[in-house]
Amino acid sequence: MQNRYFRGFLSGLIVVVGCMGAVLQAGCAGEKAADAGPIEIVLWEMMDPQERELLLQNITAFEAEHPDVKITAAHFGVEDVRNQFLTAALGGGGPDIIYGPSDQVGPLSAAGTLRPVEELFGAAFFERFHELTRIELNGHLWSVPEQFGNHLVLVYNRALINTPPADTDEMIRMAKASMVDADGDGKIDRYGLVFESKEPFWLAPWIGAFGGWVMNDENEPTLDTPAMASALEFCRELKATHGVIPQDCDYELADTLFREGRAAMIVNGPWSWKGYRDAGIEIGISSIPRMTSTNAWPTPMVSYRGYSISASCDDDKLEVVRAVVEFLTGADVQRQYAEKIGALPSLLELQGSDLIARDPVLAGSMEQVLRGQRMPIVPEMRAVWDAMRPALQNVMNGESAPAAAAKEMQKMATKKIAEMRS
Amino acid sequence: MNGSSERSLPYLFLGPALLVMLLVVVYPFGYNIWISLTNMNLYHLRDPTFLGFEHYRNILGEPELVAVFIKTVLWTVVNIFFHVTIGTALALLLNQEIRGRSVFRALLILPWAMPQYITALTWRGMFNFEYGQVNLILTEWFGFEAIPWFGSETWAFTAAILTNIWLGFPFMMIVALGGLQSIPEEMYEAARIDGAGRWQRMREITLPLLRPVMVPAILLGTIWTFNNLNVIWLVTNGGEPADKSHILVSQVYKAAFTYYRYGYAAAFSMVIFLILLVLVIVYMRQTRATERVY
Repeated sequence: MQNRYFRGFLSGLIVVVGCMGAVLQAGCAGEKAADAGPIEIVLWEMMDPQERELLLQNITAFEAEHPDVKITAAHFGVEDVRNQFLTAALGGGGPDIIYGPSDQVGPLSAAGTLRPVEELFGAAFFERFHELTRIELNGHLWSVPEQFGNHLVLVYNRALINTPPADTDEMIRMAKASMVDADGDGKIDRYGLVFESKEPFWLAPWIGAFGGWVMNDENEPTLDTPAMASALEFCRELKATHGVIPQDCDYELADTLFREGRAAMIVNGPWSWKGYRDAGIEIGISSIPRMTSTNAWPTPMVSYRGYSISASCDDDKLEVVRAVVEFLTGADVQRQYAEKIGALPSLLELQGSDLIARDPVLAGSMEQVLRGQRMPIVPEMRAVWDAMRPALQNVMNGESAPAAAAKEMQKMATKKIAEMRS
Repeated sequence: MNGSSERSLPYLFLGPALLVMLLVVVYPFGYNIWISLTNMNLYHLRDPTFLGFEHYRNILGEPELVAVFIKTVLWTVVNIFFHVTIGTALALLLNQEIRGRSVFRALLILPWAMPQYITALTWRGMFNFEYGQVNLILTEWFGFEAIPWFGSETWAFTAAILTNIWLGFPFMMIVALGGLQSIPEEMYEAARIDGAGRWQRMREITLPLLRPVMVPAILLGTIWTFNNLNVIWLVTNGGEPADKSHILVSQVYKAAFTYYRYGYAAAFSMVIFLILLVLVIVYMRQTRATERVY
């Protein structure tokens, strides 16, 4: 009896193992069949829904022109795409192409998971792009820019503000004038100005307005400066002295208030504009106003988004990958992104065309970009952000004086960078 | 069937499970130990070198480690206390014959059924100083001062704990309800005949017979809560205010995925593993969790 059960179990096991073998063989056969079939390109991206929709349309258009190519696009969150790519590329897997913001190439290239793009496209190819999007790191270019900017601007509600403020004093005056307590309960129902007040990305423009920046040309942190202290003081005063921004203003709150028409002005980037229009807000775009005390323009961080090529991409796919990236960063696609979602093109030929001049939103955005400063793309920038964030929050909460916070930022950034390298 | 076939039969049955365990538990665990002994980071991802116990020495020598550890223990104890008391109390209520019991049960499971991500971000919005519902209720209904939830370490930590209590009690409620329903009604009937009152029945029958289901549930809850990154990370937006609301696991997450310090993060995760191992051993000895009750 037992013997029969044992034989039955063994037969079952053989069947299971046989099935697994068959599945594996089918997999191998599939691979062999794929050799003769279309060339498969895998692309990972972190686009917003509207951008992704356009990407998928463009992929379909490319595949129609190239029936021998099949492109699979997978979507991830901003941080996820980077982390998942690192893990996958280490194991020799992952996508052939990865799309993301320019600061993504810092860690990915340092880890040796990207191919330098100038080797594939040739240096001359990149002369077509704006110089702010041609950022070398360790002597190489690591991505092909598809859109330009990713920068902060002053967005204002045209129903509440006719002409954007010329300087920060006027901005504060206009913000105060736009504040409304409709029901007289002592709570503000409409604010004049909102922005994410806890993230250092929103502090950067003001640092530039006081003549400072976050890193020097040697990519060392430059946070303990009078400019940083002044920028911190300015932001703190917007909340504590002038009371023109909400007490606990994070991104979600700022975005929601502006979207609902409960804020007259917001400092935000191109990714948000379509959402505001869809919510029925008639928006105007202008440069963040000139700092009255220094008479200098705030300098938001300027970066770009683009396509990078994985170091684990097979050599025999490279020509197709080059064609795909060239198509996705070409003039037709960039024009489409500019017209439909307000993304600034990285191609010089489009920047000089009437595409920008005829659209006040794009023109305002372009004006701001040219006043901005390049965002450092070295991996150490993560340590700088992380050192700035708590000190900024301490200043906004009234727990640190600006000068002490600037000193603490520098100390923490230096420590964190040393830890990253250890 | 001869003797050797008979002896090998259990191994054949266990084989597939052991193979899977080897691949998904033993190998990653061993790999983690190896990484923790190297300098693997962003700059040495492909060519890590052996460092020995340097990361462990650095972690144990960090001045803020004790404070973060205490905070993690506090986070775990407070959460588990409320998960168990609220969960058990609700289970006792739902175990009664009450009208609309299935509706209440479904409603009370909702926090557990919803994605943690959504819940945590929703609660974060509700803790906003000016527009959050929590402060609006406190100020307009009860006349309290608005609380700066993310302006101070204590309040930010409290906000995260409140969110996690809301998320965690349904699990304990379901476990306790299952335990209550498995207690034979005859025992209560016999106790009633013997003249036992409500409190006596609770103390002598309900609580002892709930123990076998609650002890492992509390153990699981403790491990999950100790290692619960999602809630504290999302509610405090990565450590607000000023990186002061971290627990041990969020420190590890930051080391690994903000700074790519894989060796250090692996060593830190081993330290957490050892802490939990000690906790589990002590807990199991104290509660005699593995002993039979019946």
